[in-house]
Amino acid sequence: MTDGMMAIAILLPVVAGFLILAIRNYFARGVVVVITAIVLIANSILFAAKGPLTYTPPEGFEWGTLISVLDYAILVLYLLLGFKLRNRLVLIFAATQIIPIVYFEFVMKAHMDLRPAFVVDHLAIVMTLIISIIGSLICIYAIRYMRDHEEHAHVDKSRQSRFLFWLVLFLGAMNGLVFANNLFWLYFFWEVTTLCSFMLISHDKTQIALENAARALWMNSTGGTAFILAIIYLYVTQGGASALSVQNIIGGGMHSAAMVLPVALLCFTGCTKAAQMPFQSWLLGAMVAPTPVSALLHSSTMVKAGVYLVLRLAPAYAGTLVSTAVAVVGAFTFFGASALAISQTTGKRVLAYSTIANLGLIIACAGINTPLSIAAAILLIIFHAISKGMLFLCAGAIEHQIWSREIEDMEGLAAKAPLVTLITAVGMLSMFLPPFGMVLGKWIALEAAYKVPLAAIFFVLASALTIVFWTKWLGRLLQVVPKLGWPLEKLSPSYSFPLWTLFIGIFVVGFGIGPIYHYFIASATSDVIPGISMIGSGWANVVLAGSSAVQTGAAVRGSFPVWVLYLVLGIALFLPMLFFGLKSTQLRQVYLCGEQTGGTDTDEWCAEADIKTKFILGGYYFQGTLGEKALNPWVNTVAILLLAIMIVCGVISK
Amino acid sequence: MNQFIIVIATIVLAPIAGGLLFGIDRRITARLQGRFGPPILQPFYDLFKLLGKDSIAVSNMQFVWIYAYLILMIASLLCLILQLDFLVLVFLLGFAGVALVLGAFSTKSPYSHFGANRELLQILAYEPVLLLLAIAIYAQNGTFLISEIVSHQQPLLLSLWPLFIAVLYVLTIKMRKSPFDISTSHHAHQEIVKGITIEYSGPFLALYELAEWYEIVLVLGIIVLFWANPLWIGLLIAFAAFLLELVVDNIAARMTARWMVRLSWSVGLTLGILNIAYLYIMKGVF
Amino acid sequence: MGLIKKSRVKSPWIMHFDNSSCNGCDIEVLACLTPLYDVERFGIVNMGNPKHADVLLITGPVNMRTARVLKNLYEQVPNPKMVIAVGTCASSGGVFHNCYNVLGGVDKVIPVDVYVPGCAARPEAIIDGVVMALQGLTGQRHLWATCPHCKTEHEVTDQRWRI
Repeated sequence: MTDGMMAIAILLPVVAGFLILAIRNYFARGVVVVITAIVLIANSILFAAKGPLTYTPPEGFEWGTLISVLDYAILVLYLLLGFKLRNRLVLIFAATQIIPIVYFEFVMKAHMDLRPAFVVDHLAIVMTLIISIIGSLICIYAIRYMRDHEEHAHVDKSRQSRFLFWLVLFLGAMNGLVFANNLFWLYFFWEVTTLCSFMLISHDKTQIALENAARALWMNSTGGTAFILAIIYLYVTQGGASALSVQNIIGGGMHSAAMVLPVALLCFTGCTKAAQMPFQSWLLGAMVAPTPVSALLHSSTMVKAGVYLVLRLAPAYAGTLVSTAVAVVGAFTFFGASALAISQTTGKRVLAYSTIANLGLIIACAGINTPLSIAAAILLIIFHAISKGMLFLCAGAIEHQIWSREIEDMEGLAAKAPLVTLITAVGMLSMFLPPFGMVLGKWIALEAAYKVPLAAIFFVLASALTIVFWTKWLGRLLQVVPKLGWPLEKLSPSYSFPLWTLFIGIFVVGFGIGPIYHYFIASATSDVIPGISMIGSGWANVVLAGSSAVQTGAAVRGSFPVWVLYLVLGIALFLPMLFFGLKSTQLRQVYLCGEQTGGTDTDEWCAEADIKTKFILGGYYFQGTLGEKALNPWVNTVAILLLAIMIVCGVISK
Repeated sequence: MNQFIIVIATIVLAPIAGGLLFGIDRRITARLQGRFGPPILQPFYDLFKLLGKDSIAVSNMQFVWIYAYLILMIASLLCLILQLDFLVLVFLLGFAGVALVLGAFSTKSPYSHFGANRELLQILAYEPVLLLLAIAIYAQNGTFLISEIVSHQQPLLLSLWPLFIAVLYVLTIKMRKSPFDISTSHHAHQEIVKGITIEYSGPFLALYELAEWYEIVLVLGIIVLFWANPLWIGLLIAFAAFLLELVVDNIAARMTARWMVRLSWSVGLTLGILNIAYLYIMKGVF
Repeated sequence: MGLIKKSRVKSPWIMHFDNSSCNGCDIEVLACLTPLYDVERFGIVNMGNPKHADVLLITGPVNMRTARVLKNLYEQVPNPKMVIAVGTCASSGGVFHNCYNVLGGVDKVIPVDVYVPGCAARPEAIIDGVVMALQGLTGQRHLWATCPHCKTEHEVTDQRWRI
């Protein structure tokens, strides 16, 4: 049974990917994707029902050797890509990975097999649910999206099969990543995800796509190098393959003092994968890829692998200086990325910066390292995956309505495409406003953050900044001339099914946060940090238990009335939509000093000499003070310093 | 049952108090300017007149957002009165502000957009101070619950006085008084011709006025929290702060949005961070 | 009077629009808002835009360009509304009524309720005009006013009350 489940989770996407690669017919390909999606989702629910388990693949086949061989293959491929793209950095960081591995395996003759090879605990179950459900929905979306994409770009030879191959293969790699207990096998899956990312970013084969893919490759390779160095350090200092077991690392089965440096290196790896500062440029560059790539890899799933690693290792660095350093690194990224997002004029870049910011928040929560903040981190992972995945899909749908990615071109979308606007608006509101889940996670994070006050202060500043850029963009979507009657647009089911499923998912998961906490997150939290979980019970309320060390004896730290706030949201936003309707006699023109020509729905006015001119409204972007040119030198310098401090803390924490 | 009565009483009585406060505001401002000024009940006449106007609008979304602004403002106030979590109050207040901005953004009107963008800058200026206040309250009390502030013997003002000064900036911004009346103003500032509220008229503008009354009760209520025990001292402090705002309004000229953000972030954040640092050192972590 | 009607009298918000006047009447309107005359004690506030206004104070003679603008603004004012033509130019075109670009007084474009002649109209006269307009806001079309000559109340059938 477990054999089957693990095989389906990790190997089925590989098989399905090759099948898709072979199929040329659009509908047949779509059917295979949908079937794979259904099987994966069912399998992940089976994992959730079965509960925690451990697994080692059967003895008959040399899985370890296969993984080593594939690893070398990938690294050699990177070297070849470095030559082909003439990118020195790709070459260097592929070499810095190959040489240590070769030394490790052949000179040191390391044995890297250990039992159990895979450990599925509650945190891994939560991650696989996210990967399977949201990942599958995005693959379904990609079926139709890539066809429209190629039609619009007038591509002669269809490469949709190749695209879907990498997309589906990636899901298997992610599953393997979150299940792996052997650090070396985790490294292998990590490299597969980097490879998928490269292939998908460079899919369009334009000059800028190849450049950005190369940048993603070398930046992730720096993380890979740190990974390899951490593995070697652990193997050498702790003696033997058992040092590579993640469970042993976090369980403190070895002398924990000597382990902090490799764990700090692994946190560095996680930070590169999660595009934390100063590595954020690869994620921004990755936005040139088609939207399903951005939705799957660069918001809901692959970058979550980075934060997953940091979160998984949290017990290993708890109580050390590294923990505080990790918290400050994450919090500073949250702040810096939110500030930079205000100046972006492209929708996807705003989403990218927001992703980086929220990943910083999650990493900071892992660094704060109390049961409350770990629970906040897990909640944020779930809600961010749903909301941000949906927002990227919306960005893709909008792009296919107006054929532009610029925010300024999205003016009046509410009149042109009301359904997509509604879904996008709810997605945006769910990112930064109560009672939605992201704010619930942020609320818990703020209430837990006082342990590292510097992180708390960055959280505060960043929260204020996020309001500005989301509201600006949402306002742009809703900007319409006075006119009644907005016809609903037609959306293909390949678009609308994932969008509406995620839309409903936001409400269902947000509303049911009480039971979801009880059945999933409480145990996931205690798997990371053993100890009493700090959130009180209740279906309609989230009550945070006060710390046991509190001096004033307050039993409750804070409470968030979830259902009441959803009721308030319903009364405030959805109730008036049912009852309020304008008649055409009530419409009036906007105030433009009386200079308009024509009826109420005109946006032309009489300029000098009574020439009819359209009036155009622009947004505020503050590119002088908050633009990338202005801020990047500062934030990158500070970020490099903070990361260096983190590694140094790893060294001195003996 | 008790809570239900409190909710109903708040929803009915708070706007009356708010309207009277606005009436007193206009009267005292007039006297400071050497005029007589309107009667204290003037805001109520304004409200009923607006309710009696024809209902016109420029977009379908206008009503939704301004009504959402009102409901969310009432929800924030109820959060304060029912003594729930202070951080939830700040988030709800943020949502209310966003609803107002979105209502202004939802039409293609230049002045409306000026007002909306400036209102976003105002939110950017005061939101960090309120969040820092929440954290400082936690640092002081060990909980974010307002009920704990009210029942506590020691008033917040004694240990949170730097943040009190920062909250006075928030009060100025929220009351839309010079030098921070940047997105819209009670007086006829022709620079952006009413900014955020320009496309609202008649009953919708009445909803906006009503929400402003709830808002002033809410913000003064936050100031009352600084000395919640005994309550009458807190109310006196709040009223004194209110009068101070009127004086500042009449002395100061309106400044730019950037200056407002810079001032609020430099002074407000410095005071807040120093306050929290002091509490962290003195009291340790909970 | 009902609450709404009483409130309409107690809180008339004005919008002032200048067609193409010499600004003499505009200065007099501005003087009304200063502490010397202080119309805010009657609840009168100068709102800048038509959507917030009840009473339109128009000055200056109407020309072909401002005719379009005036109509646009008039339509944006929600009912009930009153229009006051302040000054001789707004009432009839004044000394400019013969110019090639001048159409005449405001009533060539929109219906006017109260005329306040004068060049420039005095602040007292403007205030009196607004008070007369208030009675129109309550729906009363027949105005009862005290005649300044014989000090008794007459019904004023001709709304052009000249001061």
